[in-house]
Amino acid sequence: MNKTTMAVLAGLLAAPALATLPAAAETLQVAVGTSDITNLDPHRANGFDSMLLSNVFDGLVRFPPGSADPAKLEPDLAERWETAADGKSWTFHLRKGVKFQGGFGEVSADDVVFSLKRAADPKTSSFAGNFAVIADVVKVDEMTVRIELKYPDAGLLGLLSNFNGGRIVSKKAAEQMGAGFSAKPIGTGPFAIAEHVPQQYVRLTANKDSFRGAPKIDEVFWRFVLSDSSRDLAFQSGQIDMIYGRREQRWVTQVKARPDAVVDIFGLGEFRTLHINRSIKPLDDIRVRQAIAAAIDVDQIVRFVGPDVARKGCSVVPPGYRGEDCSWTVKTDVNRAKALLKEAGHPDGITLTVVVSNISSQLPIMEVIQNQLGKAGIKLDMKVVDHPTYQQQIRQNASALVFYGAARFPVADSYLTEFYHSAATVGKPTAITNFSHCAIADAEIEQARKETDAARQMAAWKVAQEKINSDVCAVPLFELQQVWARSRKVDYGYELKGAINIAPQITEKTTVTR
Amino acid sequence: MQYALKRILLGLPTLLAMFTAIFVIIRVVPGDAAAVILGDQASSAALDALRLELGLDRPLSQQYLGFLGGLLHGDLGTSLVTKRPVLEEALRVLPNTLELAAASILVGLALGLPLGIYAAIHRNAWPDYVGRLFSLIGLSLPAFVSGILLLLAFAIQLRWFPVIGTSANAGPWDRFLGVALPALNLGIIMSAYVARVTRSSMLATLGEDFVRTARAKGIGPTAVALRHVLANSLLPIITVVGLYFGTLIGNAVLTEIVFNRPGLGRLILGALNTRDYTLLQGLMIIFASFVVLANVFTDLAYAAVDPRIRNA
Repeated sequence: MNKTTMAVLAGLLAAPALATLPAAAETLQVAVGTSDITNLDPHRANGFDSMLLSNVFDGLVRFPPGSADPAKLEPDLAERWETAADGKSWTFHLRKGVKFQGGFGEVSADDVVFSLKRAADPKTSSFAGNFAVIADVVKVDEMTVRIELKYPDAGLLGLLSNFNGGRIVSKKAAEQMGAGFSAKPIGTGPFAIAEHVPQQYVRLTANKDSFRGAPKIDEVFWRFVLSDSSRDLAFQSGQIDMIYGRREQRWVTQVKARPDAVVDIFGLGEFRTLHINRSIKPLDDIRVRQAIAAAIDVDQIVRFVGPDVARKGCSVVPPGYRGEDCSWTVKTDVNRAKALLKEAGHPDGITLTVVVSNISSQLPIMEVIQNQLGKAGIKLDMKVVDHPTYQQQIRQNASALVFYGAARFPVADSYLTEFYHSAATVGKPTAITNFSHCAIADAEIEQARKETDAARQMAAWKVAQEKINSDVCAVPLFELQQVWARSRKVDYGYELKGAINIAPQITEKTTVTR
Repeated sequence: MQYALKRILLGLPTLLAMFTAIFVIIRVVPGDAAAVILGDQASSAALDALRLELGLDRPLSQQYLGFLGGLLHGDLGTSLVTKRPVLEEALRVLPNTLELAAASILVGLALGLPLGIYAAIHRNAWPDYVGRLFSLIGLSLPAFVSGILLLLAFAIQLRWFPVIGTSANAGPWDRFLGVALPALNLGIIMSAYVARVTRSSMLATLGEDFVRTARAKGIGPTAVALRHVLANSLLPIITVVGLYFGTLIGNAVLTEIVFNRPGLGRLILGALNTRDYTLLQGLMIIFASFVVLANVFTDLAYAAVDPRIRNA
C-alpha cells in the first residue's frame, strides 16, 4: 500500500470522529419528529413547540417532574396561596428572588398579572377559552396577586400550572421584544432559548440562575428530524441521546432489545374516541348508535395497536383523568348489533360516509373498525384525506363517524366540556370539538365545573358520564401513550411516570454521561 | 445575442401562466392555516377572527391581484404561520438546496458520462450490460429508499458520515460530510439518466460518416470517442441535464427529509402541512422560476454547443 492510499484511508477512518455533532461534555442531543418549530410563544405553542417550552417556563404551581397527576400539584413560582370562603377569590404569594433568563430581572406580581391576562386574551393566546372563568387578576403588592373568579372553580390550580396558558412570562421582555418574543420568549425555567437554526435545531442553554439550582447539563440541542427512520438511525449511531419514538408495538419491542437503550412509555397519552355524529341520519336513532357500539371490539383494537402503547378506555373521560368513571361497560355482541339495526328499520344494514386521516396513527385503526362494523352490516365508505383536510372536514360536519385523539388537562371537565357540551358542537361560533352533537349532560358538566365540594363534583361527573355513555354519543377506544427512547447514559433525575407536556422534562437534575 | 433574448422573453409568459396556476392550485387545496396556528382547542369564533386577520376571507380575485402586485415589487408576501417575509424564510435555507443541487449534478455527470461513454464504446460487451443494469437500478430506486440504504451502509456500518447534518456553523470538512451522502443519493439517480442518454446518443453518432473518416485518418479510438463522437452527441445530454433539474427538485424534498438537511424541500413540506398558503405559493414560485431558468440556460447551452441552432 503506497503512502497516498494510506493517507486517504487514514482520512476516511478519522471521518467519524470529525463528523460527530458539536458535543461538550454536558450537551444533550434530543430529536423530535417535526420539520421545524411553528410558534414558540408560550401562550400559542402546541405539539412539539409546547414540549420544548416545558423546559423553559414555570407556572405559579407545577406538576412535579415525572408526574401528570393533578392531585400532586405543588408550589412553583408561588410559595403558598389562600382561597376565600366563597371559592371565588384566590391569593397567591410569590417566591422571592426568582430571576428571569437573559437578565430580565426578578419575577414580581406585575409579571404574573401580565402573563395571566395575556393567557386569557384571545388576541394573544390560544388557551383563552380555558381562562373564561377568571374575572380579574389584581396586583395586591409587589409579591402578591389576587385572582377573582366569575364562579368557584376547583380546577383553577391546573390552569395556573406549568402547562399551556399557565406559563409565566417576563412582562419587560414581552413588551421590549414585541413580535420577536415568539421566537425567543423569556421564562424562569432551567433552560433558556439561545438560538434557532431553521429546520435544524433550537439550542437551549442552562439558566445558571434558575431558582431550583444550576442545571447539570450545559446545553440542549432540540433537533428537528422529521423522518422516523432517520431519527432511529441517528439514535442508533449515538449521534442523538433522546428521541421521540414511534408509538408502535413492533418499534417498542425492537428498541427495548437494544442493550444501550431505554424506552419510556408514559401518559398523558392521546385518548382515541369514535364520535358518532347524530346530525347525520340514521345516527339520530339511538338504536343505530347502540348497534355501532356493540359491533366494535375494543380489546381487539388494543391488541392490534399493541399492549405496551395502548391502554383501553372505560369511559368517555380518558384513563387516569380525575373524575373518570369506570362503572359503565359495553359488551361486544355482533348479533345484538344486527338485531338493533333490524329493530331500527335497517335489516339490510347501513352505509356511512366517514372522513379519515391518512396518518399512521389513524388509518390502520379505522380499517380495523371498518372490518368490525362490516360484520354487523354497517358499511363504512371511507374518504381518506391528508391530516389538515381531515381536520377541516370534520369541523364542517362532513363525517358520520369521527375518530379523534387528544390529550387534555387531566381532569374530567376538560374532556367533557370540549367534546360533549352542546356549546362546543361543531358549526356553532363557540364550537370546539363536539363532533357528536351530544347535548345530554350540559347541566351536570356545568354543575361539576362550579362545584367546590370534591365529592359532589365527582358525583356530578359520574352522572354526566352515565348520560353520555347511555346516549352513545361516542365509543371510547384507547389511550395511545407517549413513547420516547433514550440512551442509558441519560438520567432524567426523576422517575418518569407521566408528563403534562407529553415529553420527558429536562430539569436541573438531568444528566448525561459521556 | 438575438437568440438569447428570444429565449429569455419566451420564458416570461411561461412564468406568468405558472404563477397563476400556482395561485389557483393552492387555493383549491382544502385545509385551514388558522386551525394549525391556533390548535384544536380554539373556538370557531377565534378561528374566524384569525382568518379575518390573515386576509383569508377576502375574495379570491382581490387576493390574486394583491399577489401579482406583490410579485411585481419582488414581494412574495409574509408567512401566515411565522409572520416572517417568505423571501427571508426561503433565503435562509436556499444556499443548502443550491449546494445539494450543484453537488448532485457534479456527481451525476462524473458517474454518468464515463459510464455512458464506456458502454457505447463496448456495446453489447459485459461493461455495457453492467452499465445498463446500473442505469436500470438507478432509475427504479425511489430516493428515500436509496437514501436509507446509503445511511445504513456509510453512516451506521462504516460510520464514515453522520446520519444527520451537523451544526449551522460547520467548517468546510463537516459541510462536505454533510452533503456527500445526499449528493451521492441524488447523483446516482441522475447518473442513470445521463449514462443511458450518453450511450444511446453516442451509438447514433458512431455510425456517422465523419466518424468513419476520422478513423480512416488513423485517429485513435479514445480520441475519436471523445473529440468527435461525444462532442457531437452532447445535445441530448444537455437536454437530460436541463430537464432533470425539475426531477432533482422533487427528489431533493425526499432527500432533505431522509438526511435531515435544511432546504427548500423541507420548507415546502412544512408549509403544506400547516397550510401556510403564502409561504407555499412563494416557494412554488421560486421552484418554478428555477425550472424555467434551467430551461432557458439549456436553450442557451444548445446554441453554445451547436452553431447551427445559434444561426437558425
